[in-house]
Amino acid sequence: MNNKPGILYLDDEENNLFSFRALFRRDFDIYTTTSAAEAIQILRENDIQVVLSDQKMAEISGVEFFELLRNEFPDPVRILVTGYADIEAVIDAINKGQVYRYITKPWNEQDLKFCIENAYEKYSRERELRTKNVELEKANAELDKFVYSTSHDLRAPLVSMLGIMEVLRVEEDKTKSREYIDMLDTTLQRLNEAVQNIIYYYQNARNQELLEEIKWEFFLDEVMRQARKSWQGVPPTLNLDISSSKQFVCDRHRLKVIVLNILSNAIRYADSEKSEMWIRIEVIQNAEKAIVRISDNGLGIENARLNKIFDAYDGHSMSGGIGLYIARQAATKIGAELHVHSIFGEGSKFTIDIPNRI
Amino acid sequence: MKQFPNTRILMVDDNDIDIAVNRKLLQLADITSDIRSFNQCKKFFEYLDSEDGGAKGFAQIVLMDIMMPVMNGFECLAQFDEYPADFKKNFVIYMLSSSIDRNDIRLAEATPNVRRVLEKPLDIYVLRKLLEQEGLPTE
Repeated sequence: MNNKPGILYLDDEENNLFSFRALFRRDFDIYTTTSAAEAIQILRENDIQVVLSDQKMAEISGVEFFELLRNEFPDPVRILVTGYADIEAVIDAINKGQVYRYITKPWNEQDLKFCIENAYEKYSRERELRTKNVELEKANAELDKFVYSTSHDLRAPLVSMLGIMEVLRVEEDKTKSREYIDMLDTTLQRLNEAVQNIIYYYQNARNQELLEEIKWEFFLDEVMRQARKSWQGVPPTLNLDISSSKQFVCDRHRLKVIVLNILSNAIRYADSEKSEMWIRIEVIQNAEKAIVRISDNGLGIENARLNKIFDAYDGHSMSGGIGLYIARQAATKIGAELHVHSIFGEGSKFTIDIPNRI
Repeated sequence: MKQFPNTRILMVDDNDIDIAVNRKLLQLADITSDIRSFNQCKKFFEYLDSEDGGAKGFAQIVLMDIMMPVMNGFECLAQFDEYPADFKKNFVIYMLSSSIDRNDIRLAEATPNVRRVLEKPLDIYVLRKLLEQEGLPTE
């Protein structure tokens, strides 16, 4: 691979092609041909950034040739090479946007070189702009999904609460009222999680890494207490397997976001049909890394959805709101890997693979 | 006295709290006393396939939540659409959403058998008007 700009020159006078090649072979990667068909073939097979074409050729005019290129090769910058007699055609072509510049024959070496360099610069600028645009569109689409998901995550508990308030207002039975107040509490918890997630999202994007030692038992106890409030199953079990005397260090806050969201997910999609709902947490730690496994016997995830659960919800593929999306963002920041294994109807197992940053 | 005595309401919603609240709202409004709920689409289909679900002589109103895990409201209705036309004609379907999203409304309108999208929390006044428009027999 060389980094010289790829230049194609089409002219039915071989002499012009020879002198062109002789002048510029050191500066550019030159392709020349006398046939329009062959020129198109060259464009298909090579990386060409600037195309020059003679205007007056026997089989096709330069403007017509450029017209042929427009659909298949819109990106290379086009330069027309022409005698003074063709000035009408040149003006027309420029006005129609088919050519970038024109060069009159006989050409001046310096002018021609300058012209090709300018054309190449234009090509590079435009390519950069196209790449930026694609990135921007992607970021925009992601933001759209995020807003869609978030508005749902926020609004769903809110409207639930509005409904509860409505029935609470007319409920005279004290025991029944008590039940509705518990429902308000559960729903408020969900709203709190949703707001918390928005805060996590922005903190994750902005904040620097803050490395701290993780004391697993203490850490997981704290996270579980936060996540467990609406858990109806048996108390989650914790299994620690620490084979290293070294301490484990990572960004505690981000790790908490990851574990918390996986736990919330397990709680939200627990299967109330099962006689005993459980969640198990397992930590295996050695000097280099820690592996946290969180398994449950919840609803499980269908195979078709498995690779989408870490995406923001897009309205068509169901995921658990933005929780797992935020978990993935946080994982990326701390260099952790997030995997999921699930059998639909049986349960899910999430694995977090975290490097030790000691 | 129930307003629509020959009507059964079927709620499909993964959120048990929303089901409890909507059930209470429907009871308070005396729409009908025949209310069933399903917190998974799977259970809704089990009901449809049962003798009870196929019973005739009354209208069945479905309140289908859009956002559900495993199978969302649209997917659930795609499966419902596979039932024979003669079976489906007993059912009047409304979709429920907590965030009225244009895309969801468009999708709902394009979904066979769906009357329209209703915003959560359920507005009983609106539901009653809609049921009257359906020409369901009232007391």
